[in-house]
Amino acid sequence: MLDVETIDSILAKFPQPKGNLIAILHEVQNHYRYLPEEELRYISKRTGVPITQIYSIVNFYNRFSLKPKGKHVICVCLGTACHVKGAEKVINEVKMKLNIDVGETTDDMKYTLEEVRCIGACSLAPAVVVDDTTYGKVTPKEMASILAKYK
Amino acid sequence: MASTVNIIINGREIQAPEGMTILEVAKKEGIFIPSLCYLDALEPEGTCRLCIVEVSGSLRHSIRVSCIQEVKEGLIVETDTERIKRNRRVLMELLLARTPYSKELLDLARKIGVVTSRFQSEEFDDCVRCGRCVRVCRDQIGAYALCWVNRGYQRTVTTDFDRISEYCIGCGSCVQVCPTGALKMEDRGNERIIYKWGQILARLKLEKCEKCGKPFAPKKYLEHMAKKAYKPRGLQLVEIICPDCARKVERPVPAPEFPVGKMPFGF
Repeated sequence: MLDVETIDSILAKFPQPKGNLIAILHEVQNHYRYLPEEELRYISKRTGVPITQIYSIVNFYNRFSLKPKGKHVICVCLGTACHVKGAEKVINEVKMKLNIDVGETTDDMKYTLEEVRCIGACSLAPAVVVDDTTYGKVTPKEMASILAKYK
Repeated sequence: MASTVNIIINGREIQAPEGMTILEVAKKEGIFIPSLCYLDALEPEGTCRLCIVEVSGSLRHSIRVSCIQEVKEGLIVETDTERIKRNRRVLMELLLARTPYSKELLDLARKIGVVTSRFQSEEFDDCVRCGRCVRVCRDQIGAYALCWVNRGYQRTVTTDFDRISEYCIGCGSCVQVCPTGALKMEDRGNERIIYKWGQILARLKLEKCEKCGKPFAPKKYLEHMAKKAYKPRGLQLVEIICPDCARKVERPVPAPEFPVGKMPFGF
C-alpha cells in the first residue's frame, strides 16, 4: 500500500531531493524498516531520479534493504579482530536461539540477523550492534541475555 | 585550436591534441591496444583494464589504463612490452573465467595470446561487466532502462527490480554496443525481446509498417526518434514506414543544410 502522505512529508524536508536522495531513502527506511518498491517508484516520480538509479543505489549500500526487516536488527561484527575473538560463536548462538540464518528475519518479524564487516569497535571485540546500541566483548552467554532484553 | 603535446608511442614521435587519452591517440595513429569497455560515443570508464600500457617520461614509470589516462607533454608510452603482455594475459584469463563461452571475447583472447584460462568459476555468463550497455542507455539514449546492481562478485546488469523494463524503448543500442554478445535482441512475430543470459530485460510490441504491414519497430522507439532526430531538424513523423519501404518511396530532395543519412547515435 502506497502511503503518499508519509513520503511527501519526508520529501518536503529536502528542498533539493536529487542531492539528498540517500538521506531521503534513509528516512523512508527508518519509517518502514525497509524500502518498498511502490514507494521507491513514487520517489522516482516525484524527484525525477530514474528508478533504475535508485535501484542501483539501494542495491549498492548494505544499509538499505528491499526486504522487510524485523523490529530489532542484530548486527554481529565479523571483522578481523572480532573474528579472531570468537564472533563466530556469538553469531552461532543467535542463529540457534532465533532459528534463522544470516540475512534472515524471524517469522514473527521481531528479529533480523545480519553480519557486518568492521564497525570500528575492534578494541571491544567481539562487538554486536542491536538497533543503535553497541555491545562489546560479547560472549555467547551474554548474547543470550542481550537478546532477552529486546522483546 | 587546442594546443598539442609531443608524446612517444612505441618509439614513434606523435603530436597529439591536449586532453586526448592515450587510447584515442593510439587509435588515431593506427596502434592496436586491445580494449572492451572503451567506445568513442561514451565517456570512458576504465572498467575492463585490458587497455593497460606502460608509461614513463613525464609520468612516473608505471602501468596505466590508457582509455582514461590523458596525454601529457613528454610522455613515453609502450603498448606491447613483455610486462604489459603478461599483465594483459592474466587480466584476460580472469575475464575468461567468468565469461568462458563468448565468441567475441575468445577471439580477442586469441589475438593477445590467451587460449585457455587457468582460473575457473562456478558462476559464469557472457557479460564482462564493462558497462557499455548501461552507459549507452543512460548517456546516449537517456532511457535509463538498465542499471548496475550489487557489488563485487555479484555485480550485474539488470532492469529496475529485475522486472521486464517499462522504460526500455527497444532501440537495441545496448545490444549493439555489447562487446561480448551478452545482450541479445530478437524480433519474434510482432514482439521485440531484449534479453541476456537467463533474463528477459524488455518486451515490446512492434508497430506495423503502414505500407507492407510488416511489424518493424516499437512505438516508444519511433516516438524517441521523432523527438530526438526529426524534431531538431524541423521534421515530423508522418507515416510509420519500415526502412525497406522507405527506400522505395520517392521523397523530395532534402534541403542541403540538413545532414543526411547519419543517425544521431555515435556509432
